Amino acid sequence: MSYQIADEPHETSLGAYVVRPGVPMMAAMVAGSWLSWPWFAFNAIAMGSPTKKKEIALVIAAFVGTAVLGATVIALVDGGYLPDGVPMRFAILGIATFKLGMTYYLFVVQERTFHVYQYYGGAVRNAAPVLSAGYWLRGLVLALSDDPLWIIIVAGGVVIASGM
Amino acid sequence: MEDRQLQVLLEQAEVQRRLGNHRTAIGLVQRALALDPDHARAHAALAFSLLGARRLPGAGLEARIALSLDGGDDYIHYVAAAVMMAERKLEDAWSHVLVALEADNTSAEAYVLGATIQVLRGQKAKARELLTEALEQNAMHCGALTELARLELHAGNRAAAAEHIALALKADPVDHDAHVVAGYIELAAGNDRTAEDHARFVLNQDATDEAGLKLFTAVKAKRSLVLGLWWRWNMWISMRDERRQIGLLIGTFVLMRMLIIVTDELGYEMISKVLSYGWLGFCAYTWFAPEMFKRWLKQELGSVKLDPEF
Repeated sequence: MSYQIADEPHETSLGAYVVRPGVPMMAAMVAGSWLSWPWFAFNAIAMGSPTKKKEIALVIAAFVGTAVLGATVIALVDGGYLPDGVPMRFAILGIATFKLGMTYYLFVVQERTFHVYQYYGGAVRNAAPVLSAGYWLRGLVLALSDDPLWIIIVAGGVVIASGM
Repeated sequence: MEDRQLQVLLEQAEVQRRLGNHRTAIGLVQRALALDPDHARAHAALAFSLLGARRLPGAGLEARIALSLDGGDDYIHYVAAAVMMAERKLEDAWSHVLVALEADNTSAEAYVLGATIQVLRGQKAKARELLTEALEQNAMHCGALTELARLELHAGNRAAAAEHIALALKADPVDHDAHVVAGYIELAAGNDRTAEDHARFVLNQDATDEAGLKLFTAVKAKRSLVLGLWWRWNMWISMRDERRQIGLLIGTFVLMRMLIIVTDELGYEMISKVLSYGWLGFCAYTWFAPEMFKRWLKQELGSVKLDPEF
C-alpha cells in the first residue's frame, strides 16, 4: 500500500492516446481553436490529470470568453462605435491575445501533469497524423458558417491577428 | 513497531534524497505515509523530495499539509521555505526561514536558505550577512561557501569566488552545487574544458541534475551561436515565475503585432513586412531550437565521460 500524491495522474483506459501538451498548442496555430482546446480537454482526461476539472473549466472559459469578446467587437462594429483601421485591428488583436493567452495557460497547466505522467513511464502517442488532418480540415471547419463570430471562435489566434 | 518502521523509512528516504535519488526517496516516504497519513514530518520529507524531483505543485501541497499538521516544527518551516522559494513566493519563504531560525538559531542550513532567498529578492548585502552567520556556525559549511562563491562571482570578484569554492569542494568534494559554481567560475575565466569537467562530474552522478545540465549547456552554448542565443533567452525567461513568463511572452506578441498594425496603417509597408517576417523567424527559431538542443544534448549525454586529468 502506498500514499497517493495529489499531483500524480490516475491510470485511465485512454492512456494510449496521450500526446505532449505542446501538440494541442501547435494545433492552435496550424488548425485552430476548434481542434486545440477540445484536444487539451481530451488529453487531460486521457492522462488522468489531477487538475482535469481545472483544465476543462479553462477550455470552457476560453470558448465562452472568445464568444463574449467576439460578440462585443461585432456589436461595436455594427453600431458604428469601432471604426475601420487601427481601432478595429487592435480590437481583433485583443481577441487573438486572449485566445493565445488561454492556449498557453492550458499548455502550462497540462505540462505540469505531463511531467509527472512521463516520470512514471506513461506512454506518449505520435500526434502528427491528427495535426495534419486538422490542418487540412481547417478550411472546412471555418466554412461551416459565414457568421464572423464562428470564425473568431474556431480560428487560430495567430490567424485572426494577422488575417483581419 | 510501526513507528520504528516509519522512522527507518524516513531516514532511508533522507539518505536517498541527499544522494539525488529523488524517485526512490519519494517511494520510501509514500510507504511511510501509508503507515501514518498524518505524520507531519513525513509530509515535509515528501515535499522536499518532490522539490528535488522538480514536481513543484505536489511539493507545494505536501509542504502546506505538513504545516497544517504541525506549525511549530522548525524542519517543516525550513522545507516550506525551500518550496516557497521555488514557487517564487519569496516573502512567505523568508517568513518561514525566520520561524525556523527562531526555533534554532544555530542551523547553518537555514541561514544559507535565507541567504539564497535574499539573493532572489535582490538583497545581496543581507545575503552576505546570513552567509557569514552560517559560517560562524560552521566554518566549513559547503553550502554557505558555495553561495558566497556564487555571490562573489556575480559581483565580478573571480579570485575571491575561486577561493571560496576551493574551500567548499574541500569540505565536500562531491557536492553538486559546489561543482556547478566551480564550473561557472572556470567558464568566466575562459577555461571551457575544466568547466565542462565539473558539469560532467555532476551529470555522471545524476544525469537529471538541472543545475549540472544548465552548466553543461552553458559550456556548449558558448561554442555555438545559434543554440547559445536560445539558451540565453531560455535562461532569462525561466528565471521568472509562470505568470510572468506568460505575461512576458504575450506582452511581446501584443507589442509586436501593435507595431506591425501601426506601421502598416501609417503606410510604412516595408517596415511592417520586416517586422512580420522577423516575428515569424523568431517564432520558428524558438519552436525548433529547443528540439535541436534536446537532440544534441541527448547525443552529448550519451558520451558523458570525465577527463582522466580531472
